Amino acid sequence: MLRYEMKKIFVKPMNKIIVVLLVLITFVMGFLTIRDVRYLEENGSQLSGIAAACRLKEDKSRWRGYLTEDVLRQAAEENSHIHSVSQDADEGYQKRQGLTDIRELLNVAFCDYGDYDYYKADSIAPEEAAGLYERRITQLEEWLDADEDHLSDAEKDFLTGQYKKLETPFYYEYADGWTALMDSQYLPTIMIILVVLAGFLVAGIFSDEFQLKADAVFFSSKLGRNRAVRAKIGAGVLSVTAVYWGIILLYSLLVLCALGFGGAECPIQSRYANWDSIYNFTYLQDYLFAAIGGYAGCLFILMFAMFLSAKLRSTVIAAAVPFALSCVPMFLGRISLLSGVMTLFPDQLLRMNKSLDAIVLYQIGGRVVGYLVLIVPVYFVLCLILAPVLYGVYRRA
Amino acid sequence: MELGIHNLTKTFGNFTAVDQLDVVMHHGVYGLLGVNGAGKTTLMRMICTLLRPTEGNITYNGKDIIAMDGEYRKILGYLPQEFGFYPEFSVEDYLLYIASIKGLAPAVAKKRVKELIGKVGLGKSANRKMKKLSGGMKRRAGIAQAMLNDPKILVLDEPTAGLDPNERIRFRNLISEIAEERLVLLSTHIVPDVEYVANEILLMRDGRIVHRGTADELIGSMTESVWKCYVGKKEVSRFVKRYKISNIKSEAQGAWLRVISDRQPLPDAVAEEATLEDVFLYYFGEKAGDGDAAI
Repeated sequence: MLRYEMKKIFVKPMNKIIVVLLVLITFVMGFLTIRDVRYLEENGSQLSGIAAACRLKEDKSRWRGYLTEDVLRQAAEENSHIHSVSQDADEGYQKRQGLTDIRELLNVAFCDYGDYDYYKADSIAPEEAAGLYERRITQLEEWLDADEDHLSDAEKDFLTGQYKKLETPFYYEYADGWTALMDSQYLPTIMIILVVLAGFLVAGIFSDEFQLKADAVFFSSKLGRNRAVRAKIGAGVLSVTAVYWGIILLYSLLVLCALGFGGAECPIQSRYANWDSIYNFTYLQDYLFAAIGGYAGCLFILMFAMFLSAKLRSTVIAAAVPFALSCVPMFLGRISLLSGVMTLFPDQLLRMNKSLDAIVLYQIGGRVVGYLVLIVPVYFVLCLILAPVLYGVYRRA
Repeated sequence: MELGIHNLTKTFGNFTAVDQLDVVMHHGVYGLLGVNGAGKTTLMRMICTLLRPTEGNITYNGKDIIAMDGEYRKILGYLPQEFGFYPEFSVEDYLLYIASIKGLAPAVAKKRVKELIGKVGLGKSANRKMKKLSGGMKRRAGIAQAMLNDPKILVLDEPTAGLDPNERIRFRNLISEIAEERLVLLSTHIVPDVEYVANEILLMRDGRIVHRGTADELIGSMTESVWKCYVGKKEVSRFVKRYKISNIKSEAQGAWLRVISDRQPLPDAVAEEATLEDVFLYYFGEKAGDGDAAI
């Protein structure tokens, strides 16, 4: 039964086109992600993609290991040296490409909290650079001290605690595959496109029975009001799961195979994009968290579309829901009045990798948690609640 | 086997589609005749548990069919008036899918599908997509799906609507063939369809069974006679207004009329043997052909 329900979905010409389109988009996104990795050669020519990644890996491997005080001192010294001997910015940039990640950390660490100055590292003494980890905590505390009403004491304690919990010194190695995957906009873009297009796959699972006038035979069959309905839900969940993980894994493998799997164990804070993050993850954990969270969001949005398909018997409305839930909250979130509540919308789950530095906290039973940690299980639970509701609605149709 | 309909009423807002119906059926072919809007489809949808009665209930061997749930649907086969299918499925896949939701084990389903595809004459089209089938072939696939679980109760709602004469005859024969040892409820407003295959005919009007019996019993129940007479062209409209006319055959100077009347309409009118079509007209009068087929 489940096999035929799946077949009903994937035998439709439009759905076949959608799957092909999704695969094509994934390849294009993968190509763009890989292409974004650049390397400037001594002769001034620029490499991109796999060739650039190879050169960067070579240069960065010198710094592989723990970023101890000594290493930080050494990095700051080398940066100063390159700065002093380089005749122009391009030459400086070319020479310190292997050092870029550490240099960027110095840039972001020695500014005020949340700020960034590209040239800051050039004016930092080696001894100062050695205090990078203390600086991270001081930076936060200064910011929290300046904050008057925004955060409660419990929340401030939580933030400081999270910062202090972060294991130092950071383990460092070339991780441009992971940073390209996790620190760029491509992953959330793919997730949003995936949700919107997968909406078309599942929108008709329930409503098509009515639109094709096949409901009479369906519901008058022995299992039409129980197992057959469960098979429909199963087919929906299975399709979403297969399409989601298929696309995400394809994209991830494209990027990681091209740029390298190395650096999975580096903490995300070892790259300036996540310096402020309160989530103490390695890149591998970040990836799993974002992918599982994205799956929760994708599953919830598409199950909600299936619910509307069953309730309203309209494929069109059901197909519009994924767009409304994944794109509209992004714009509504810009309205300050709505920004708080919008952090609880499922679209947040589709771009978790880009929200790691957001300080949005919730206090539950006296315990403070970051909102990303909260919404992932919440949406899985909502999916579990939605499944029997969907079953009840359709079996009574 | 007994299918009992007890004080069955179905209303849609202020409209009563089925009105306090009481019928008991055993095995055999039951023809449900009535004009569009008589409540045939509503009754059938209730028998198939697709609609809940407003009042009354339907029982199978004394048990309420709603309470029986899947156990009742297990012995039910239904070919709806508007037979919907999955256009991209092949005939074989479609039937295998329906077999699965009817609870047939895969091995049994395969055997049964093969057997029925042959029986309804779709052997050469088993791998053709449903959307590519002709109207008649779709109907045959429809009857095959209804027969998959070898149902004890087979409900066929307007199964011959839209078919050409050849397909209609073929379909009628198919129904006769499969009707043994089961209860077939055949709804139609095409009189010859029930005349040929039904053991008992139920005449339905305004949600009620107004008469029931065999074709001969129904013909015998007419209190008026059937007359054949020839009238001039100018007289035709006067006769149509005054009498129930079951047939008009025009000729150059006038027309042959088949008149249903308790009195001889003209001195030279000749008494004719009544048919089921005359019965249909006798009971349903001018309303024949009006109304909403969906009710």
